Amino acid sequence: MFLKLAWLNIWRNKRRTLITIASVFFAVLLAITFRSVTDGVYENMIHNVVSYSSGYLQIHKKGYWDEQSIDNSFEANEQLNQRLLSNPKVTQLMPRLETFALSSFGDKTKGVLVLGIDPASEKMVNQLDEKVIEGGYFQSENDNAVLVGSGLAEQLNVKVNDTLILIGQGYHASSAAGKFNIIGILKLGSPELNGNVIYMPLRTAQNLHGAENRLTSLSIMLSKTSDLEGSKNAVESTIDTDAYEVMTWKQMMPEMDQFIEADSAGHYIIIIVLYIIISFGLFGTLLMMTFERNREFGILIAIGMKKRLLAFVVLLESIMISLIGCFMGILGGILLVRLFTEYPIQFSGSLQEVYEEYGFEPIIYFSGHPRIFINQTLIVLVLAILLALYPGYKVIRLRPVEAINS
Amino acid sequence: MKKTIIDAHNVSKTYNEKMIPVKALQDVHLHIEEGEFVALVGPSGSGKSTLLNMIGGLDEPSSGTVFVDGVEITKLPENKLIDFRLENIGFVFQSFNLIPVLTSKENIGFVLQLQKVPKKDREKRVLELLQEVGLAEKINSRPGELSGGQQQRVAVARALASKPKIILADEPTANLDSKSAANLLDIMAKLNKEEKITFLFSTHDQRVIEKARRVITLVDGKVDSDIVQTPT
Repeated sequence: MFLKLAWLNIWRNKRRTLITIASVFFAVLLAITFRSVTDGVYENMIHNVVSYSSGYLQIHKKGYWDEQSIDNSFEANEQLNQRLLSNPKVTQLMPRLETFALSSFGDKTKGVLVLGIDPASEKMVNQLDEKVIEGGYFQSENDNAVLVGSGLAEQLNVKVNDTLILIGQGYHASSAAGKFNIIGILKLGSPELNGNVIYMPLRTAQNLHGAENRLTSLSIMLSKTSDLEGSKNAVESTIDTDAYEVMTWKQMMPEMDQFIEADSAGHYIIIIVLYIIISFGLFGTLLMMTFERNREFGILIAIGMKKRLLAFVVLLESIMISLIGCFMGILGGILLVRLFTEYPIQFSGSLQEVYEEYGFEPIIYFSGHPRIFINQTLIVLVLAILLALYPGYKVIRLRPVEAINS
Repeated sequence: MKKTIIDAHNVSKTYNEKMIPVKALQDVHLHIEEGEFVALVGPSGSGKSTLLNMIGGLDEPSSGTVFVDGVEITKLPENKLIDFRLENIGFVFQSFNLIPVLTSKENIGFVLQLQKVPKKDREKRVLELLQEVGLAEKINSRPGELSGGQQQRVAVARALASKPKIILADEPTANLDSKSAANLLDIMAKLNKEEKITFLFSTHDQRVIEKARRVITLVDGKVDSDIVQTPT
């Protein structure tokens, strides 16, 4: 009966209720879209950087991160791999040998990041093969070939089947020099990476650097990326932490984490302002709904309705109005997010150039993470309860005789 | 000997209107027995509504005590007083008595629901009550679809729903035409006679006063006269 009473009460003034619902609807829709875009961009940015470079977690020889030299590499260890893969959160391992070298073609030279990779696991994790825009992908683990980022290819003015010379420092001060056939040009999501990366099969990289069976890092991909610290602890518990160090991508790339945190905080402020604006609308409606029924409330108390029950009905009314708007907003949000997840917004022309210049992929990805929708519902629910506190307080303080005579 | 249902002793009420005290009731003594049908009359501002509010526990006297069915209601804490009203006192107000969004059935059933009466018993009782006030056919009508007289009859039915010992009615016929007023009074008199419910109602209306068996007149917050009469 009280649910029904609250429901009927909110429709006493249809127009006012509809306007209030509409304000909640648009606020939730905007908040969802906003959060979905920012989270989508962050997730994509993290995925791009994490899968192409660091992994969510990375294992090194202890001390490698402070002195990133091939001399601080470690020997690939099948037992270690098996122990790591026995952790259910670990989905894939990506052994890498990462060094810097000087690349040269014709009269052009450039310092580059050389990534020795396992072609099969990279193909599986980050679909590196799909990023090849010219030429092809590695055929075997021993190919004496390299894949060059498109930005770098442009700078060196190289094309597929050209021969690239790499000169660098090998393991234990040996010299590393070799000629490699360019079998493909890659276009990676991260423009920064695109401009200075060279991929080669792990064995080829190990041979080049005289580092037989050695790795500088073992990147770990995870099934659940939200509990990064928990996953790190779980991995640490399975390895010898005196010999190895485990780092999260946030530790390895603090500037990206800080950028996301700072950017996210700015977006939260905008969403808070949005909700403050609709709170005033909702609060006004609730106050009007309460004060215009003062006499009725007095009569209800007179006939035996307890004030707290009456305050509960007012709370129900607030929750109902808010949740109707919220669910409509979520429904609209789901449709919008689905649409843009299917068909992400891709920038072109000068906007694309601006994005790339700042190191971003010129695509707006939307995140469909359920957390976004659940959070909005919870925010609106908490708002509805908070906003009903004052009218509820007024009901509790109501003197029936004054209310009846009002 | 009949049981005393309302016993008010030295009830005074002073309102502090803009720092100038207004004495609404002054040392009122009132003694009403079970089953009486009493009209409270007097000019506007004589304290009729104030006295009804004191007896109904809607307002507190500045001094004095009010006993209803042997319970000193002036000492009851708020929630207990609300429960006491729910179980023992029915109210009929001058106008806008009913919850506009609920039907007659729901308005009457609301009180029974507050008393946690099971649905089946509730529905039976609502129908009985609507039949008693002659509005069974308006069971699913909302207040806006009823005339003023019909609304007051539904209000009487709601006041009766909890089987109270007393019904307090504050000018119940003030907004009704003469036919509706007479009809309402007949229903109240019948319920008083058949179900022994005590009625105490304030009124200005001479035709209503004539129906009462006891007429208490208030003037300037004091009982001016208390007359037992034969109703016409």
